[in-house]
Amino acid sequence: MIIAILSLAVLGLGLGLMLGFASKYLKVEAGALVREISDMLPGSQCGQCGFPGCGPAAEAVAGGQAPVTLCPPGGPSLALALANKLGVSADLSGMEEHIPKVAFINERLCIGCTKCFKRCPTDALVGANRQIHVVIRDACTGCGKCVEVCPTESVQLREEPETLESWHWPKPQELPAAS
Amino acid sequence: MKVGVSYALPQRQIWLDVEVDEGATVQDVIERSGILQQFPEIDLSTQKIGVFGQLAKLDQVLEEGDRVEIYRPITVDPKTVKRKRKIPGAKDDD
Repeated sequence: MIIAILSLAVLGLGLGLMLGFASKYLKVEAGALVREISDMLPGSQCGQCGFPGCGPAAEAVAGGQAPVTLCPPGGPSLALALANKLGVSADLSGMEEHIPKVAFINERLCIGCTKCFKRCPTDALVGANRQIHVVIRDACTGCGKCVEVCPTESVQLREEPETLESWHWPKPQELPAAS
Repeated sequence: MKVGVSYALPQRQIWLDVEVDEGATVQDVIERSGILQQFPEIDLSTQKIGVFGQLAKLDQVLEEGDRVEIYRPITVDPKTVKRKRKIPGAKDDD
């Protein structure tokens, strides 16, 4: 009995001391903030902010080299969330509420060149050489990379039509906090 | 292992996940997915099949995470389609 209590107490003390020292001497510098910010970003690596992907963008935002309004797909809501997180004020004047758009391919112009599907970061494009390419609407993030490379301008970004499959119950409006 | 199957029309696109045994072929996965019952118009003897954009035969063995895609041939003659003017300095992947 006494041996058990003693050995557990010693174990607890020893491990506690180790954790204490570890948190002091092995502290991660700013990495946690970068990770939190990159979790908030869309994560589709679309590159519209000018950085190669969401990870470098998060680093730049955390380091203050990029404004919180850098992410076009995230829109004003993401900019506000980032501003809250970093405790800075966000200038939303240049941002408009992002209307979700998805790519759509005009099949009468598609020549099956495969340029667009090589660019797609989310594998939303199905196609092969000399076969019609189609966008899987549910997988498309509307980043527009396929639009730039299409040699026949058959890819366009369109507002997603509201159909029985795509309609969602709107989120409840936030009430002003009762004080 | 988990693989995908995809068939896409302009208005309706399907991307299914299918659980198959190791060493499954393209044919197994297509039959297992039931996609032929959903789209009776698919004719595997004329329509081409591939994996992530690479054309494949029906007996090709798949790997974890592959996506089997059933294609439809293009409807235009590529020579008759007007091309966009090349933007100087634009990078090209080919």
